[in-house]
Amino acid sequence: MSRTTVASEYSAEIQSTPIEHRFNPYSDNGGTVLGIAGKDFAVLAGDTRHVTGYNINSRYEPRVFDVGDNIVMTANGFAADGKALIDRFKNQIKWYKFNNGGKKLEMQSAARYIQQLLYGKRFFPYYVSTLIAGLDEEGRGAVYSYDPVGSYEREQCRAGGAAASLIMPFLDNQVNFKNQFIPGTDGKEKRPFEYLSLQEVIELVKDAFNSAAERHIHVGDGLEILIVTKDGVRTEYSPLKRD
Amino acid sequence: MTAIGTGYDLSNSVFSPDGRNFQVEYAMKAVENGGTSIGIKCKDGIVLAVEKIINSKLLVPGTNRRIQTIDRHVGVAYSGLLPDGRRLVNIGRDEAQNYKDNYKVPISVPFLVDTIGNYVQNYTCYNSVRPFGIVGIIGGVDDNGPHLYMIEPSGTFWGYTGAATGKGRQTAKSELEKLNYEELTVHEAIKIAAKIIHQAHEDNKDKDYELEITWISKEHTNGRHELVPESLMKEAIKYAQEEDEEDEDEEMES
Amino acid sequence: MEHNPFKWGRPDDAVYGAYNHQIAEAGVNSLFPKMNTQNPIITGTSVIGIKYKDGVILAADNMGSYGSLMRFSNVERLLTIGENTVVGVSGDISDAQQLARYLDSLELQENVYDNDGENQLKAVNVHEYLTKLLYHRRSQMNPLWNALIVGGFDEAGEPFMKSVDLLGVSFSSSTLATGFGAHLAVPLLRQVIPEDKKYVDVTEEQARKVIEDCMRVLFYRDARSMDKYSMVTIKKGQELKFEKDLVVKDQNWRFAQNIRGYGNAQQ
Repeated sequence: MSRTTVASEYSAEIQSTPIEHRFNPYSDNGGTVLGIAGKDFAVLAGDTRHVTGYNINSRYEPRVFDVGDNIVMTANGFAADGKALIDRFKNQIKWYKFNNGGKKLEMQSAARYIQQLLYGKRFFPYYVSTLIAGLDEEGRGAVYSYDPVGSYEREQCRAGGAAASLIMPFLDNQVNFKNQFIPGTDGKEKRPFEYLSLQEVIELVKDAFNSAAERHIHVGDGLEILIVTKDGVRTEYSPLKRD
Repeated sequence: MTAIGTGYDLSNSVFSPDGRNFQVEYAMKAVENGGTSIGIKCKDGIVLAVEKIINSKLLVPGTNRRIQTIDRHVGVAYSGLLPDGRRLVNIGRDEAQNYKDNYKVPISVPFLVDTIGNYVQNYTCYNSVRPFGIVGIIGGVDDNGPHLYMIEPSGTFWGYTGAATGKGRQTAKSELEKLNYEELTVHEAIKIAAKIIHQAHEDNKDKDYELEITWISKEHTNGRHELVPESLMKEAIKYAQEEDEEDEDEEMES
Repeated sequence: MEHNPFKWGRPDDAVYGAYNHQIAEAGVNSLFPKMNTQNPIITGTSVIGIKYKDGVILAADNMGSYGSLMRFSNVERLLTIGENTVVGVSGDISDAQQLARYLDSLELQENVYDNDGENQLKAVNVHEYLTKLLYHRRSQMNPLWNALIVGGFDEAGEPFMKSVDLLGVSFSSSTLATGFGAHLAVPLLRQVIPEDKKYVDVTEEQARKVIEDCMRVLFYRDARSMDKYSMVTIKKGQELKFEKDLVVKDQNWRFAQNIRGYGNAQQ
């Protein structure tokens, strides 16, 4: 008997393999995101292009959001899952406040909670790379990154989405000074880590996105950078290549 | 009522030896003390009105709507236990929605009332429940024109040209009997409704009231059940009070 | 004659095997898998939309295709909800009709029941509702097989247009089109509005013309389209204008004669 099954009404279907589901619940909506933590600030940036396949659906569809409590968030990949995750998290912040007398949700708590949301769908995952950025309890910049099922880590910087593999090595080199050595030491002494200023970070983000837009078709149109400092969240927009 | 002490009034679903269900009759008592509701069937539509008793000066005027919508083309005014009325409206809404899902077209008013009647009747048959403590005046306009029904706690419903229930029902009924329903238009009926409620309020004078009037008409509201617009409302209130003064004048003269 | 089809008998068991009753009872308490929508049946093709300075214009043709068969030619795919919101639906028509029922019930609950005329549904609210609905259904692996465009106004009363598809993916732009329109109409629409925010420079006449042009191009090049279509114009401070049975104007089929196998041109 054939192994493939159709929904025929006239055979012993029950013994055969389950019907093949032709419906694919996932898609990829492109775009790329990037978070960098500074000494007393953090940024989360994303391009504003929204795609399916070779179609550009929109040239301006924000993908980084201020979710409240001085935390910014993005969930890049399958846009419907990203929206669902962020909506759920926003709602949870609201309930956290109701239940705890208006207490601010700290970064580490937010980070753990998002893991719970992601792992809760371990067997039907949110198909997204999630990043959050903000300030920790000491006021230092913090970025947390996740895999689709909730494995997470605090990092100095992280790129996610379509052009993550293009941007991440650049960040390793420019933010964490990987493979950089003190001149004259013959490659023996590593350049020590030091925080970049906000101005330097913003320039770095722009360079990263301009380069990604140059090489990746799912990246472009516009760049939106959300900057978190102790004074709150502000947004900077700049155009990217539209081709 | 002579049922007290006989035991036949303690349970629903039990007849007394002379064939009465006392719980249903007690439910009517709940209605008879409520604010007056009336309905008028005109040649071009339906007018519903209630005497909204103001229980507290702190209630926001113009809010706390009393007349409800079952479907776009059907409205209900009721007197009695208000939460029972809201429950009844929800039943009607479910039924109307279900009908439209199945048959595409809006439910006809007689059929809707029949369904609601069956539902209400069921609450007279079991000792675990009590009957609905309301009398509902259901008005609507469908393909066959305007319809007006009044449904009681027993599940009985009759079709009316003019219907009244609540504390001032006797006054209201005697006024409604004077009308010529063959010629009456909704515009006239709005004024008359305002006047009748005003007069019926005499039976409940110790409390303030607010007037609420809705209408349904193919020509004027596109077949939808809507609150009467403010301009018509003002006109109606003015008319009701003018008549009032005239009556007083006449009384003075005589 | 026996009029009950169930008594006509069925193909020979020796050939086809005995009927498996679990098929009919698929789902709960059955070993046979529950079947959900795996593909659309009767379909509607593109919906297109454009924002302009005073509102939104949406258009969709009246064809309902059964595969490559032109099965129905008077399908209305633009649904109005409330005073000034329109949903254009492409994809499965039976699902579109189910959506129409959901939307009617939403309108009834939010705009009619116990409502004094305030807090009327806006297009943003309708869009959010549909997005949640479609995402929920895709998460059940039982999608409503549609791509929609919602047109109307946002909370501030400014023109609003946003789409959502069977996966629950939503996005907004001043120019939107589903299906074939995403390839054929969007480039034409974007010629009129190159930058998203510049829709405020576009007049109703310009918007209407480009929509008409798009419907013509779609009729030329989309095999599942027809030249009869509906168009709605949603304009600030005005009742929405719903035009039915419009016909694609200025058709020119002279190019056809040069197409090999179509016109006179020989091998």
